[in-house]
Amino acid sequence: MTFFTTPRPLARLGCRRRLFLRSFSSERARDNDIVIVGGGPAGLALAAALASNPIAKNSLKITLVEGGDLSKIQDWGMPPNAYSNRVSSITDTSQHFLNRIGIWDYVEHARTNPIHQMQVWDGISGARITFDASEMPESSEMARMTENLNLQRALLRKLSDTPSVHVIQSVKVESIQREAVGRNDWPLVHLSNGAILRARLLVGADGFNSPVRSFAGISSYGWSYDTQAVVATLNHAPRGPFQAPNNTAYQRFLPTGPIAFLPLSPCTSSLVWSTKPHLAAALNKSSPGVLEQLINAAFRLPEPSLQYIYSRLLEGAMSSDEIKQEIMFRERSDGISSHSAYASATSILLEGGIPPDDADALPPLVTSIQQGTIASFPLRYNHAESYLGEGAGNRTVLVGDAAHTVHPLAGQGLNLGLGDVDALSRCIIQALTHGGDIGSYTALMPYTRERYFENHKVMSAIDKLHKIYSSTTQPVVWARSVGLEVVNELDSVKAALMMNAGASSRLQNVSGWDLFAKGVENLVGAAGTSKMVGGMVSAGIQELVKQAGLRISGRH
Amino acid sequence: MLSAAVRSTTRLLRLCQNARCFQSAAATSSTVNAAEIAHFSRLSSLWWDEQGEFSLLHRMNPVRVSYIREKLLEATCEDQGEDVMRELESKCAVLTGMDVLDVGCGGGLLSESLARLGARTLGIDASESNIGIASAHASGDPQLSSSGNSLEYRHTSAEQLVKEPKRFDVVCSMEVIEHVDNPLAFLSACAQLVKPGGHLFLSTIARTPLSYALTILAAEHILQKVAVGTHTYSKFINPSELISFFQTYRSSPSSFSIPTDSGHIGSDASRRPWITRTYAHGLPTRSEAEVRGIVYLPLSGEWKLMSRASTLWGAVECNYLFWVRRPLDS
Repeated sequence: MTFFTTPRPLARLGCRRRLFLRSFSSERARDNDIVIVGGGPAGLALAAALASNPIAKNSLKITLVEGGDLSKIQDWGMPPNAYSNRVSSITDTSQHFLNRIGIWDYVEHARTNPIHQMQVWDGISGARITFDASEMPESSEMARMTENLNLQRALLRKLSDTPSVHVIQSVKVESIQREAVGRNDWPLVHLSNGAILRARLLVGADGFNSPVRSFAGISSYGWSYDTQAVVATLNHAPRGPFQAPNNTAYQRFLPTGPIAFLPLSPCTSSLVWSTKPHLAAALNKSSPGVLEQLINAAFRLPEPSLQYIYSRLLEGAMSSDEIKQEIMFRERSDGISSHSAYASATSILLEGGIPPDDADALPPLVTSIQQGTIASFPLRYNHAESYLGEGAGNRTVLVGDAAHTVHPLAGQGLNLGLGDVDALSRCIIQALTHGGDIGSYTALMPYTRERYFENHKVMSAIDKLHKIYSSTTQPVVWARSVGLEVVNELDSVKAALMMNAGASSRLQNVSGWDLFAKGVENLVGAAGTSKMVGGMVSAGIQELVKQAGLRISGRH
Repeated sequence: MLSAAVRSTTRLLRLCQNARCFQSAAATSSTVNAAEIAHFSRLSSLWWDEQGEFSLLHRMNPVRVSYIREKLLEATCEDQGEDVMRELESKCAVLTGMDVLDVGCGGGLLSESLARLGARTLGIDASESNIGIASAHASGDPQLSSSGNSLEYRHTSAEQLVKEPKRFDVVCSMEVIEHVDNPLAFLSACAQLVKPGGHLFLSTIARTPLSYALTILAAEHILQKVAVGTHTYSKFINPSELISFFQTYRSSPSSFSIPTDSGHIGSDASRRPWITRTYAHGLPTRSEAEVRGIVYLPLSGEWKLMSRASTLWGAVECNYLFWVRRPLDS
């Protein structure tokens, strides 16, 4: 018979048999339709999305398991001007989704801040692109800065009003096994409190080191960037009366990694500074008063001056005064006037008065850092080979960070996770209306089809962005800068990009950030064309670009 | 992902064939083909391997169910008005409480879906091992095993069942009729099991050069993905043949009389046939019967139900669904 000659099913059967031997009785197990492992934003949002649908609510038994103490998050609160250091930009698409499932009303809106404009520029050439929400159809804001805890608390409050979802907290998943022969080999989740949950569908929303992913035998590929992200909550003076309010996100691409300034309120913003690990360690332990000066300088000083200051910093700890002297010296030698927005140590801007012309091109000067908000974490790129378990791992599905981890430079991690949850919940509801088995591969296939390439596209755009901006080789800098400037100047091209994105936004998850991703693809294209240009100008440059290309692609 | 897509494309033909052939023949005792049943029973342990040989059948299942739902909702709208229909649709309750028969249930793919939607489902199959597999599979699912008698399997044939008094709101027989020896007797057995105003759903393959090329020439002889002899071209049935059968078919006066051996039974002139009118091009009116093609799209890995407008050309050249409703007054 044909199937006996096919090696795959046989291999899978053999594998399953081994698992059977290890698994034990499932008589004590409680039956569930869906067991969600992980109480982060993705897991909670999935439970909330399903509970918001009448068909799913009435027919599904859902249990969510979280090892941590969620009640702390549910009662979380901070004084009005203090902010948590983990923030995300919730895109318009994500916001619509949260609204649809009834979560957005539970988010404390006073602690969120809309982004109307993004300014992104090249750390070496200064080439700049501006994305403005007013250029996008059907949208008044590009994204909304929201503390992760604010969103998580909203989800928990909503779920506490939802008796159909059973949340188990402060209980760990000890092991996941497959049921014994004779039953339909559903996953059994063994908890640290002795309970066993039998799952028609097991959802892994359990983060980067996902135990569900290992149980399902899904491999993932990826790498660690040689980069750490330093985060902090920054205090600064409010924007002056002649300036736009604090609704602009700034990002400068330095060869060591991008530094981003994300507005949270008129006088607070969030920092995400990706940089080399040794530098991140130095920044992390720098004495009070030093880090804010380094942040101001990192947005303003030319790259060689920054390199010099970093080398001084790495030689040994510097005091606040020493670093100020160094920055003042570099500003003078770089010819930055104290009236310019590019001055920080020598700046007279904090004293008030009429701001310089270029004040809106840069974030406000940081005056202090909120206590206890400085932290750093490693950056990774990771994508699961599949979102669905097969064979011995069937009846499992991955969402959020368990499925993919991205460089945070575009703030896309949470949005990708919410996009997954939106797609998966629609897929489950669709299967319910067709009488499908929601744990079956067939029922879940539309989810993976909708999300895998979509996520991959955004992830690789972000990755390319990281790589192309890590280069200091002149032709690459030239190409990426020309690409950026040209796109920025040609309003029609930019508008076309935006219209294109806007027109399809109802069908696909297109947002301002997606536009950004497209812009990046263009830049990458521009780097390619520079080979041609190089050929026309001189063979020597062409050779340089080639080498640069090899170096970029060989880096990882 | 890419390799998965390629794999599913290359498997298309053989799976298409294997899947269908396992929907073994459930037919009258005289029409059951013993050789076919033995052939399929040996393979039936893989019924529930969704990525195995049956993956195409698993993927076809949601399309079948959504078609059944669509027609039942249409009928509800016609009988009870739009408000009732909207309510049933929003509660996903159109099948709730209906008596449904799945003839040739195989491993129970369709039966389980119908039972989950609330139908009191009886799945029958002429292969005993299929019934064993289907029952075992359903018993592992608490939703199906705990809800009392809503899902039941029996090793019997449609013709045997006609002898019992029980009649059904919905009778389905998917990918079966092209395997039975006497399709006319099979059709009338299925039709007799339908209550007045009830529905009969069939799916099969049209007898066209295209279906020959795909299902027999390519799959069996060229690619050799399917055992030679799985399909018999002459057993394929065209939509027009089903339509003309129901243009003359009239329900017998007593709804559970013993059927005669002839294909056309109870031709009582006072009762109207199931299909009374057709358009100029031979298609029935939408409230009496319907033919809809289903086409596999290898790129997206899904089956697609073709629109009504495309039933004339191309779409119904290979796989298609057929629906007919027994008149209320017959």
